[in-house]
Amino acid sequence: MIRIQNIRKVYQRGDSEVHALRGVTCEVAENSFNFVVGPSGSGKSSLLYLIGALDQPTSGDVQIHDRSLSQFSNKQRDEFRRNQIGFVFQSFNLLRNLTALDNVLVPYMPVGISSELRRRAQELLDRVGLKDRMTHRPNHLSGGEQQRVAIARALLKQPQMVLADEPTGELDSATGAEVFGYLRDLHAEQSTTVIVVTHDERYIRDTDRVIALRDGKLAV
Amino acid sequence: MSTFHNCRPFPPATLPLFCLLISRIFPLEAEAMLKFAIRNLFSRPVRSILALLGLTVAIAGMVGLFSVAEGLDSMVNTTFGRIPGLLAMQPGAPVPLFSSLPAEWGEEIEEIEGVSVVNPNIWQRVNLINNEMVVSPPRFLFGADISSRLALKADVYRDDMIAGRYLTLKDQGTRNVVISKPIANEFNLEPGDIFNVNGYDLTVVGIYFCESLLLDVAIILDIDEIRSISRFGPDLVSSFYVETTKEFDDEEMIDRIQRVFVGRDLPAVKFSSQNIDANPIQTVANFFDRALKSFGSDNGKNGGEPEDRPINENNSHPNEANGKATDSEKTSTSESSGMSQPDAINDEEFFPLEVRNANDWAKRFTRFSRDLNIFLAVLTGIGVTIAVLSIVNTMLMSVSERIVEFGILKANGWTKTDVLKLVTFESSLLGLAGGVLGCLFGFLATQFFNHYFPTRAQLYASPELLAFSLAFSILVGVIGGLYPAVWAMRMMPMDAIRRG
Repeated sequence: MIRIQNIRKVYQRGDSEVHALRGVTCEVAENSFNFVVGPSGSGKSSLLYLIGALDQPTSGDVQIHDRSLSQFSNKQRDEFRRNQIGFVFQSFNLLRNLTALDNVLVPYMPVGISSELRRRAQELLDRVGLKDRMTHRPNHLSGGEQQRVAIARALLKQPQMVLADEPTGELDSATGAEVFGYLRDLHAEQSTTVIVVTHDERYIRDTDRVIALRDGKLAV
Repeated sequence: MSTFHNCRPFPPATLPLFCLLISRIFPLEAEAMLKFAIRNLFSRPVRSILALLGLTVAIAGMVGLFSVAEGLDSMVNTTFGRIPGLLAMQPGAPVPLFSSLPAEWGEEIEEIEGVSVVNPNIWQRVNLINNEMVVSPPRFLFGADISSRLALKADVYRDDMIAGRYLTLKDQGTRNVVISKPIANEFNLEPGDIFNVNGYDLTVVGIYFCESLLLDVAIILDIDEIRSISRFGPDLVSSFYVETTKEFDDEEMIDRIQRVFVGRDLPAVKFSSQNIDANPIQTVANFFDRALKSFGSDNGKNGGEPEDRPINENNSHPNEANGKATDSEKTSTSESSGMSQPDAINDEEFFPLEVRNANDWAKRFTRFSRDLNIFLAVLTGIGVTIAVLSIVNTMLMSVSERIVEFGILKANGWTKTDVLKLVTFESSLLGLAGGVLGCLFGFLATQFFNHYFPTRAQLYASPELLAFSLAFSILVGVIGGLYPAVWAMRMMPMDAIRRG
């Protein structure tokens, strides 16, 4: 269970303050498929990054399995991101100097890449249809292929939670549907909690949980 | 920048080769990071190469500069290591060229217990060879008493003959000479050739080669003949080379010899006036020589005018160095050689003869090379500072361009330390490559210099110097990358990603 308690996030932009989140409280059930929706600037991505320990709230708390993220040490946060969270970004966020395979393996570079990890990464790339593109660098891959590499990177961790920020934002409809297909498969096979920030509500199913935000607050 | 990113000046096989090498050397954790670091460097080839070149030049300069001092040390050690005897000369004279001693003292030294052979020497600077002015490298006429020279057990010149023959007793009273190989090469001389030195014709009978800049400078001839072509009169020598029986150690022998002459005054210089008249070139040279030396030895008292201190047949100079009254019997030859006695030495303590062994010479040169090292360190410091700034600049640019990348890495669980490691790996790889290339080019430069300018200097880049330079270069790389690395690691993942 993920508990978000009265969370606020204020960004400083020069002399002015931008209130991205203004006291959001909600819960996300384990093994659920969730969407965060709302207009631009409503605080969707900020909420996602706070859940993923990529940022720290100005106030309030995020609890993962009854453990407050604010009580995590830096090392625990790094381990949490490395082992339990899979991120999928709108702009793919692949490393352009690395091949598709190395991009999948990048979370484990500091701890060493075993042959088992390498084999699993190859299998995942094979599964997302990139068997012949493993040694290609991101600039030689299409947008859809890059996003599939990003999904493979997230899957390699066998994460408890996948956080996707507009994963189809830069893709055409067919490729977008394909990407969502992989996310649905992951959710079904590994019982992973998935939280997707999106503008595109076509991919929302009735069984999904939807968190709607407006002006940094939960929309009624 | 895309143009830069796309160009690939490295051969395609280079990167896999590096990666293969690394996978053989480093553990699993470091291997992946290092490969990533190398890829990052290769992805910005022009910038990496420029930083690399900056460091290479600095390290090559460092190797080159310090090889001067090392070459000097090496030359001194190899040279003096081959001279087992002692050298007696005028106190304070830096080299025998500036020393004058009474010739008769040689007999007294010979009588001291433990002395085996005493070989009187005269050294004279060569100004002209075959009417060409000799400035650099310097050349010297070395007059030696042939009979005692031949009695020496070890004689570096005799032992290193490469052509013709060494001087024999038959060469006494002749202007037959043995010359060094560099002199023979420079003036295209062979045994049997006649050449002109300071206006006098000399006949080459042999060529020696000691492979030392300190020794391969001499034109060796009979001591009586050098008197006839130099300013040295019959009663003077420059120095005595003393071979001992080795019954006593060097320190004791030095003390024994010096004690014999304690309290004595150095007698006046007696130049040979006949030679001044005989050779117009020498006359002019001697005039300038005397003028300069009296200027230096007057210490300002006589206003530096050589005509105030005429050297007559008796050469009676006031012994100002010892603070004594003018007395023709008690004058110092240091006046004539341009050297002053130290003021602190009083009558009781004054040794008119200074005896040095090879260690003493080596120590003097070590002091000199230590001073030289300070100068060289300053020069190197300037080069290295520029190289460090170049690396800082390169890495800062690289880091600022890759802010998003670091955000992605952190989002995927990389710790601050991991990011620090990556950036530091990159800069230290630049340091390593710059060090390797710098050491290589520096070493090749010393070999080139030694090969093409063998008579100018002997440079020596020791393995220790090369190892130090390499380690220093890596350190420079690490330090150069630290600030950008810290900058990169302190950023929150989302701040970094949002910047993109």
